[in-house]
Amino acid sequence: MRASQDIYPQSVDVERDVEQLRNSWRHPRGVLGWLSFTTHQAIGTRYIVTAFIMLLAGGIEALMIRTQLMRANNGYLGPERYNQIFTTHGTTMMFLFAVPVMEGMAIYLVPLMCGTRNVAFPRLNAFGYWMYLFGVLFLYWGVFTNTAPDVGWFAYPPLSGPQYTPGKSTDFWAQMITFTEVSALCVAAEIIATISKMRAPGMSLNRMPLYIWSILIQSWMIIFAMPAIVLASSYLLSDRTVGTHFVNPAEGGDPLLYQHIFWFFGHPEVYIIFIPALGFVSAIVVAHARREIVGYTAMVLAQIANGFIAFGLWVHHMFATDLPQIGEAYFTASSMMIAVTSGVQIFCWIATLWSGRPRMTTALHFVYGFIAIFVLGGLTGVMLAAVPLDLQAHDTYFVVAHFHYVLIGGALFPLFGAFYHWHPKFTGRLMNETLGRANFWVLFAGFNLTFFPMHILGLKGMPRRIYTYPPGMGWDGLNLLATVGAWIIAAGGILFIVNFLWSRKNGEVAGNNPWDADSLEWAASSPPANYNFEYLPAVTSRYPLWAPREQRGVVTGLATDRREALVTTLMDAEPHHRYILPGSSIWPLISAICVTIGFAGSVFNGWYITWGAIISGLAFIGWFWPKRPLEPAHD
Amino acid sequence: MKTTTRVAKVSAATCTAFTLLLTSCIYNRQSAIDPAGPQSGRIDTLWWSFFWLLGAIFLIVMVLTAMTLTRQHRGFEQEPLEALHKASEKTEARLRSVITGATIVSIVILFVLIVASTVTGKANSELQNKKNPLTIQVTGTQWWWQIEYKMGDPTRSLVTANEIHIPVGRPIQIRGASNDVIHSFWVPNLNGKRDLIPSRITTEWLEADHPGAYRGQCAEFCGLQHAHMALWVIAEPEDKFNAWLEAQLQPAASPRTPEEIKGEQVFMNHACIYCHAIEGTPAAGQSGPDLTHFGSRRGIAANTLPNTMGNLAGWILDPQTIKPGNHMATIEVSSGDLQPLLEYLESLK
Amino acid sequence: MTDVQTIDVGHLKAYDISNQDPLWWGQFMFVFIEGAMFAILIAAYFYTRLRMDVWPPPGDQFPHKLLPTLELIPLILSCAGTYWASEAAKKNSRGGMAGGLTLNIALAAVALWMRIVEWHSLNFNWMTDIQGSYVWAFLGLHTFDYIADLAFTAVLLLLVLIGRCGPKQRLGVHVDSIVWYFLVAIWIPIYVVIYWGPIIVETQQ
Ligand code: HEA
Ligand code: HEA
Ligand code: HEC
Ligand code: CUA
Ligand SMILES: [Cu+2]
Repeated sequence: MRASQDIYPQSVDVERDVEQLRNSWRHPRGVLGWLSFTTHQAIGTRYIVTAFIMLLAGGIEALMIRTQLMRANNGYLGPERYNQIFTTHGTTMMFLFAVPVMEGMAIYLVPLMCGTRNVAFPRLNAFGYWMYLFGVLFLYWGVFTNTAPDVGWFAYPPLSGPQYTPGKSTDFWAQMITFTEVSALCVAAEIIATISKMRAPGMSLNRMPLYIWSILIQSWMIIFAMPAIVLASSYLLSDRTVGTHFVNPAEGGDPLLYQHIFWFFGHPEVYIIFIPALGFVSAIVVAHARREIVGYTAMVLAQIANGFIAFGLWVHHMFATDLPQIGEAYFTASSMMIAVTSGVQIFCWIATLWSGRPRMTTALHFVYGFIAIFVLGGLTGVMLAAVPLDLQAHDTYFVVAHFHYVLIGGALFPLFGAFYHWHPKFTGRLMNETLGRANFWVLFAGFNLTFFPMHILGLKGMPRRIYTYPPGMGWDGLNLLATVGAWIIAAGGILFIVNFLWSRKNGEVAGNNPWDADSLEWAASSPPANYNFEYLPAVTSRYPLWAPREQRGVVTGLATDRREALVTTLMDAEPHHRYILPGSSIWPLISAICVTIGFAGSVFNGWYITWGAIISGLAFIGWFWPKRPLEPAHD
Repeated sequence: MKTTTRVAKVSAATCTAFTLLLTSCIYNRQSAIDPAGPQSGRIDTLWWSFFWLLGAIFLIVMVLTAMTLTRQHRGFEQEPLEALHKASEKTEARLRSVITGATIVSIVILFVLIVASTVTGKANSELQNKKNPLTIQVTGTQWWWQIEYKMGDPTRSLVTANEIHIPVGRPIQIRGASNDVIHSFWVPNLNGKRDLIPSRITTEWLEADHPGAYRGQCAEFCGLQHAHMALWVIAEPEDKFNAWLEAQLQPAASPRTPEEIKGEQVFMNHACIYCHAIEGTPAAGQSGPDLTHFGSRRGIAANTLPNTMGNLAGWILDPQTIKPGNHMATIEVSSGDLQPLLEYLESLK
Repeated sequence: MTDVQTIDVGHLKAYDISNQDPLWWGQFMFVFIEGAMFAILIAAYFYTRLRMDVWPPPGDQFPHKLLPTLELIPLILSCAGTYWASEAAKKNSRGGMAGGLTLNIALAAVALWMRIVEWHSLNFNWMTDIQGSYVWAFLGLHTFDYIADLAFTAVLLLLVLIGRCGPKQRLGVHVDSIVWYFLVAIWIPIYVVIYWGPIIVETQQ
């Protein structure tokens, strides 16, 4: 289906241009062709699908955890298995599901919302996906060969060190981190470049949709936070494999240093997951309350502040380590300040809904669910920020409750909402609303049943990460409730899958803009063509599709017989020059395989790093080796 | 406004139910909200003030959110500017000022919370200034607790395991250390937790208001048997505590019955002595818990099991099934030797 | 229909060898990531150092200063070659690019050789003690990047020499320069930490 043509100028030959665009953006055929795709829709979809499979894996692990904890002294999983399962659950959910799924959505949506044809570095994009995929395979190779990591998702030394966890399991964990880091950094870099330099003409910074803002901030946070985890995991890996002493207390290394570095990454990490979700919420609220956002500037400033403050409160994960009191007071204050920046956004959404005409779609249901769950989780976060309360609640199920409230309420619910919202764009068909609502209510009920009791369990003294507990502690009933709840969540998950599969065939055909929404992705066809837009849109307002027709416009003069996009200036998005995007290529996959050989091999033998570096270097040269003709065909 | 009152009623009921759920539990031996000392008392007060204040905020936000639904067909639809997807300037301005107001109120509330939390934290560390403290060193070891009482006089220092006795009303300084990985010392009825970190000494103060037995459990993940690393703190009146202390300072009771005498020999002839110490006997192993007064303790293997003769038999015969992965070796003890060994160990009061 | 909002970009250049290009931004981001990592590593070094009474740990020689300091000279001079090449890339002067890149590579190779000579005189390695771990982490990470970028520069030079050098490759020469500037600039604080660190924070006794 075509985009609406009534805004195209008369001077252009639409038929010819579309024909040429089709040709120049056509995917190569065959298996090898499939492996060479570089369009953002294809890569984004691959990210999203892989991440949802990881949600399923992490969910199955969660069900195993809950089944083990169903009753006192349960014998379903022994300590060894249990430790592997909860570590794999946390690792999968954080590194292999939550971050990548947000990236996948961004890769799909950002070029559309910015009004361009692809991300700035399409082949890097493909490379990032392959690295992520190999990270997934690497970790689960460990899981299926009984070398699953078992030291928790933050792998504190000395427990994770060579002395107390011999064997390869922790090396698998640490190296998996490296894979996901590389992937996340690739995505962050290309998203920043895309947003900064390839927005539709006229989309000045203060006209960017809030979702684009949130992704921009998230990507910068990745750039600043990921180096810390690179370092933490390398410390661990090199201590374990080549005998350095970074975290070895016997040689002057300090286990607390690892904690500092890990949480310097780890705290921003949770906002890296959470901030894009806020972007989803804004997009859904605007589209489904059918009204401009209240307090755009306040929202943007709050998110930027959020991004900054997030780097100043990592120590609230370490209050029990006996730090100086003055430091504690500082980190309490900064942790609580972040409640203001979150609060402002909550208030703005409520005001928007209040004065809008909310249309109670499934997507908006998930937003309401988000508000309820996230606010509760945020408030328990404020409790945890108070040092005396944290000293009681730290490492108990109270914390487990807190972070599932914010992670599931704050990220998963908006994600489901976003899926219902953008599904018509992704596939061309709407999802079933009745099933959708059932899906929401089952998830909402199951969620609260699972995680609300955990607050009480924590206060009643149940530590986290225990594989079993004795009877008579007063924990049995609440644990059983939580287990039942987890199975109800799984039922909700099945409803989601059913709805998704059903809608693929039977969903109502959506058209370009089924929600009458405001942002540019809804101007493209559903699903979008490989080139997104026949003519790149030009923008004169913050809500381009709500602008009167005479204020909308398009860009002409881009070559259509090759993959060309427009570079615009950073602040005002004025056209600057044309930019030729690379086409399909197998080299990203080859390079990713070479890097993987280096990374994976180095777990077994340090020399692989050297060999890996050499073959990767050769692959990169192949990647960048210029093909003739060198000069653009016409200038 | 009917909805609002209903919401208020429901929420009041929920709050009461929650409070009941939290306080009515009969198992308060390991609970953060059943304080038995000044520190945990202050934290408890702080907790309830946070709970009510933040609970109120939660309810208000929820009520407002719910009201956006009831207003579905009012709001700006009545205003003339619908096609523009926004409300009139007046409405917009009003909304902005409400948001500003709510933000300012939030900042004020947070300020109050920060002060309350810092003041509590400071008060909780102030026991340091109290006179006549008792220092106890707790060393975390995979997966049990070594307890040392440090009295000024080195001949009067005491090593035991998995059970701490303290006098009521006296400030106790816990010095935390670790032999291997990070553990965390936590007895919620008395105070919050403190990590035990290799290569460092951490400190925490606590005090019990009234006598009782308070359970604690390792709170930092420390490997396979993190789940089975519990301890008891038993608070007793000063005189009872002193009697206990004097008894513990004695070497092990010598065996009296023939069974017990045989039991002692069994112990000394087996590998037990490489790992366990019994004061007054040749057994001086250091890698397992001190057994000098084992019979007086409440539990076996960091309170994995209650200390009964039957459980002890099970433990010695097969420690790896009871606590898989723990660092006690399985030692062959013939059936004739077992009963004497049990009687001997249980006689070590 | 109205053409009011139509923006014709047909007249714009199809390449721009400057910091307006997305590729320049990508490279800039890469520099940012590396910089953040070294910054954290430096902070970690001082954190560790301040927890120790004696530094360098007993047995480790005090670091040499002469050779590492001399090494700075070719290193900093190599930036001139880079600058020359990147300006030549903008002007599409093949000779300039070839000259600049050659100068860059030659000087960088001299500095690398000096660094490797200096390594061989260190009497500790990464397994010896905590200082060894840090010093070798700095050396290893920086040298890895250094050699990688050197190899990349060599490939660019090759492309220039064999004439496979379109606008995209010229852009490559230009953005490659910021990586080189960065590698030289970040070496200076690393140099200070490794070779003067034990003196900046003196052992108190
Ligand atoms: C999406 C992820 C996410 C988010 C958004 C948050 C948000 C917050 N978190 Fe959370 N947190 C985690 C994920 C997240 N957290 C995870 C995964 C862990 C555990 C890691 C592990 O150990 O495994 C953790 C652990 C954690 C701890 C450490 C607990 C411990 O281990 O002892 C602390 C302590 O301060 C904390 C605090 C906070 C605070 C103050 C916020 C704030 O940002 C919340 C702000 C929001 C609100 C407050 C609600 C909305 C505001 C209003 C309606 C305004 C009015 C409010 C007031 C006036 C108070 N978190
Ligand atoms: C985004 C992150 C995320 C998500 C979504 C979840 C989801 C869930 N988590 Fe997770 N959790 C973490 C992040 C997350 N968790 C982290 C970081 C930790 C800390 C780990 C550590 O300590 O190291 C943790 C720890 C943790 C614990 C504590 C373990 C311990 O300390 O011993 C528990 C216990 O109940 C738990 C339970 C659950 C449950 C029941 C769900 C459920 O919501 C899951 C429900 C989802 C599904 C079930 C999949 C979807 C279902 C389908 C697609 C249907 C088909 C499937 C089947 C029928 C099987 N989690
Ligand atoms: C290899 C060393 C080792 C040997 C040999 C050994 N033990 Fe142990 N023992 C331990 C360790 C370690 C623990 C603590 C286990 C735990 O709680 O995780 C322990 C715990 C115990 C306990 C419980 C102590 C308490 O306070 O909880 C008893 C009783 C005990 N051992 C008796 C024995 C007897 C009797 C023998 C000989 C038949 C023996 N042990 C041999 C190492 C050993
Ligand atoms: Cu010791 Cu957990
Ligand atoms: Cu945090």
